[in-house]
Amino acid sequence: MRTRTPVKSGICLLGALIASLLAVPADAGQEDNSLVVAFAKPLTTVDRLYSIQREGLILSRLTDDGLFYVNPDTLEFEPLAAESYEWVNQTRLEVTVRDDVTFHDGSPMTADDVVYTYEWVLNDDADTSRGPVIQSWLESVEKVGPRTVRFNLRLPYPMALRDMAISIPVRKEGTYDGVEGRQNSAEDRPLNGIGPYRIKSFSAGREIVIERFDNYYQASPKANPAIDTMVFRVIPDQGTQQAELLSGGIDLMMDVPPDVADNISHLPGVRRKEGNDIRIGYITLDAGGYADPDSPFTNRKVRQAINYAINREEITRYLVRGSAEVIDFACHPRQFGCEADGPRYDYDPEKAKKLLAEAGYPDGFSFKLWAYREKIIAEAVVSNLKAIGLDVDLRFVKLNVFAKVRNDKDMGAFFASYGSGGTADASASTGVHFAESSARNYSGDPALADTVLAAERTIDTQERKRLYRQALNRIAEQAYWVPLFSYSQNYLLAPGLEFPVPKDGVPRFWQASWSEQ
Amino acid sequence: MFTYILRRGLMAILVALTVSFGTFALFHYATDPAQTIAGEDAPQEMVDDIREQYGFDRPAAVQYFDWLGSTLQGDFGESYFWKQPVVQLIKDHAPVTITLALASLSVTILIALPLGISAALKPNSWVDRFALSTAVSAQAIPNFWLGLMLIILFAVTFPIFPVSGDATWRHFVLPSLVLGASSVPAVMRLTRTGLLDVLSSDYIRTARAKGFMGYRLILQQAMRNALLPIVSVLAVQLGNKLGGSVVTESVFSMNGLGRLAVESIFNSDIPTVQSLILIFVLTFVLLTLAADLINAWLDPRIRMG
Repeated sequence: MRTRTPVKSGICLLGALIASLLAVPADAGQEDNSLVVAFAKPLTTVDRLYSIQREGLILSRLTDDGLFYVNPDTLEFEPLAAESYEWVNQTRLEVTVRDDVTFHDGSPMTADDVVYTYEWVLNDDADTSRGPVIQSWLESVEKVGPRTVRFNLRLPYPMALRDMAISIPVRKEGTYDGVEGRQNSAEDRPLNGIGPYRIKSFSAGREIVIERFDNYYQASPKANPAIDTMVFRVIPDQGTQQAELLSGGIDLMMDVPPDVADNISHLPGVRRKEGNDIRIGYITLDAGGYADPDSPFTNRKVRQAINYAINREEITRYLVRGSAEVIDFACHPRQFGCEADGPRYDYDPEKAKKLLAEAGYPDGFSFKLWAYREKIIAEAVVSNLKAIGLDVDLRFVKLNVFAKVRNDKDMGAFFASYGSGGTADASASTGVHFAESSARNYSGDPALADTVLAAERTIDTQERKRLYRQALNRIAEQAYWVPLFSYSQNYLLAPGLEFPVPKDGVPRFWQASWSEQ
Repeated sequence: MFTYILRRGLMAILVALTVSFGTFALFHYATDPAQTIAGEDAPQEMVDDIREQYGFDRPAAVQYFDWLGSTLQGDFGESYFWKQPVVQLIKDHAPVTITLALASLSVTILIALPLGISAALKPNSWVDRFALSTAVSAQAIPNFWLGLMLIILFAVTFPIFPVSGDATWRHFVLPSLVLGASSVPAVMRLTRTGLLDVLSSDYIRTARAKGFMGYRLILQQAMRNALLPIVSVLAVQLGNKLGGSVVTESVFSMNGLGRLAVESIFNSDIPTVQSLILIFVLTFVLLTLAADLINAWLDPRIRMG
C-alpha cells in the first residue's frame, strides 16, 4: 500500500486552500437588490440628534423623518411628518402632525412624540449636537390639540423650518429615558425612527446596514423606495474605494475628485455622474485688521486689487471643473437671497497692479495665504497673486490647525470653502460668515453684521431679499471677500445603478434603484 | 537584573510622559478642538457650547494635569469624537492591530530567515544576489504603493482576496504581506551577516570536525548565536507594527489602532491620541526590554554582565 507523504499532503492542502480562496463572494450588486455605498469618514452614531457629520445627514434622510424636509427638486422646506403648518404670527408656528406615521417598532407617531422630541432638544442636559442652535430661537413647545403642536419662538426666525427639517428627527416619547441623555450606547440601542429605512446593524467605524421599512406611510414623497437593503461601508482611502468599486465590493463612490473621476470612469464597470454642490470656495481678507492692524488688507484698493488679480474663470474651468461656476457674491446663486447687483471683478491683472500702486504698494508686499483643501487651487491663486508683484507664502495645513488660527483671528488671508449644510438660503452662507459673533468674520464692519442679523430676524421674504441684497452689495463694494466658484460633485457608480444627482450636494439614496438590464 | 528592569521601566514612563506632554501642547496650541469636534460648517453657537462643555476654555496646564490625574487612576477618559470611553475604543481596535502585527511578523520571518540563510550559505552566488535584490526592493517600495498593487492584482484583476475590511482571515492576507515585506530587508540582512560571521568562527569549524553538517550545523549550532541581533530587530519590528501600521490599516480599511490614531489626530480627539501614544511608547519599550531579556537567555555572556 502506498502511503501519502507529507509533501503530497501539503500540496493537496495548498490546492484546497487556493480553491477555497478563489470562491470569494461579491458583496455588492444588483442581484439581491442591495446598494453598497462607501463613506470616507466614520459615523460615530446613527442618531441624527447627536451627529453633526455630513454622513449622518445622508443616513438620517433614510432612517428618520422630521416634521419638514428639503424638497430635492425645489430645495424648499415642505411638510413631511407634518400634515400642515401655519405661522400664527412671527413668533408662533402651529404644526398639525400626520396620523398615518408609524415608528420602526410599529407604534404610531403622535403629537406627544413631537413635543417630547423638541423638549428633549431644548433640555440642556440632553446635550444634543444642535441643541444650542435650536435653543437660540425656540422658547417652548406645547401640544394644543390632538394632532397640533405649537412652537413658541424667542424671536422671528426664518430658518425655523430648515432647522426642523435637517436637524430634528422625530423621536418616540421616552426614547432617551435611562441613557443619561447621551448617545454613548447608540451601538447597543436600536434607533427607532420613522424613515423609509430602519437600522439593521451598526458597527461604528466599520459599516451601517439598513433595510426597507415596509410600514412606511404611503403619503410621503419618500414612500416605496426601490432598494431593499443598503450598506454604508467606511473606507477612508480613495484608492481603496476605487478598487472596491472595480471589484464589485461597493456600488457607489461619493466626493470623487475630478481627475480621479476622469481616470476611473473610462474603465469597464464604472459610470460617472456629475452634479451641483451648494458648496462655494472663497478667499477672506483681513479687512478688519485683526491679525495686523497695519495690514495692507485694511485698504479697500488692495482688496479690490486681489479680486481683479485672480483668474476665477480659468481656475473654475480647468481645476474645479464639472458643473462648477464662477460666483460673484458671498453666497451660492441657488440660495434664497443670493441676488445682488454690486460690483463684479473680472480678471484684470493690469488694473490690479494699478490699484496696488494707488494704495501705496507699487512693489507689492508679502503675506501668508492659509488653506486646508484643494492645494492645487490655492497654488493657482498664489501664482495669480505673484503675477501682480505680491510675495505670497502659502501655508497649507490640516483643517484642525486652520480652524485654530482662523478662530484666533490670526490670518491675513485664507482660502476656504463652505457647504452651508446643504441649505439653499443665504443665511447659511452670508449670514454665517458676516455675523458679528462669527469667527469667520474678518470684515470688521458692524453695519454689515447688523444688516445680516436683520435678515435673520424677519420671516418677511421680500424684506429678507432686500436685506441680503444690501449686505451682498456692501461685501462686494468693500471687497471683503474674493468669491471664487461653486463646486461640482462627482459620483462613480456601478453600471445599472440609477441615482438622481442632488442639487445641494446631499445624496438622497431613497431615490436610487437598479435598472433592468 | 531587577535593577536593570526597574531602570528601563522608569525610563519608559519618563519617555511616555514627555511624549504625552509634547503631544498635548501641540494639540492645545496648534489646533482648535472645539471647532474640530463641531465640524467645519458648524455655527458659532455650537462651537462655543462645545468649548465650554469640554472645558477647552480652562488653562492648558489644568487640562493636562486633569487628564494625567485621571490616567494615573486608570481612567483614560472619554473620546471627544467617538463619545465612548477610550479604554473601550482601544479594546475594540486592538485585536485587529495585534492580529495584523503577528501575521505580518510571521510573513517577515517566513521570507527573511530562509532568504538570509540561503544568502549566507552561498555568498556572492546568484542566490545571494537574488536575496539582496529582494531586500533592496522591499525596502524601496512604499507600503501604500505595494498595498494598492496587491489590491489591484489579487482583489481586482484576480479576485482572490477581499479589497478591504477586517472581518475574516482573508482580509488579513494582503495587509500582512505588505506590512511583513517592509521588515524583510532588515531581518534578512542581519540573518545573512550574522550567519556569515558565525560560520567563519572557530566553534563552527570544531563542530564541522565533530561531524555536524547540513541543517544540524546551521540550526543547532550556528543559528543560536546568529539569532541574537535578529531577536532584537524582530522585537523592534513588532513594536513598529503594533504602533505604526497606520498606512496599511488605512489602505486596507482595517479598524485597528493605527487608523484610530490617525482619525483621532485629524479630529483633535486629545484623550484618545494621548492614550494611544502612552500605549505605543510603553509597548515599544516593553518589547525592546523583552528582546534584551531573551538575548540574555540565549547568550550566557550577556547574563554574566
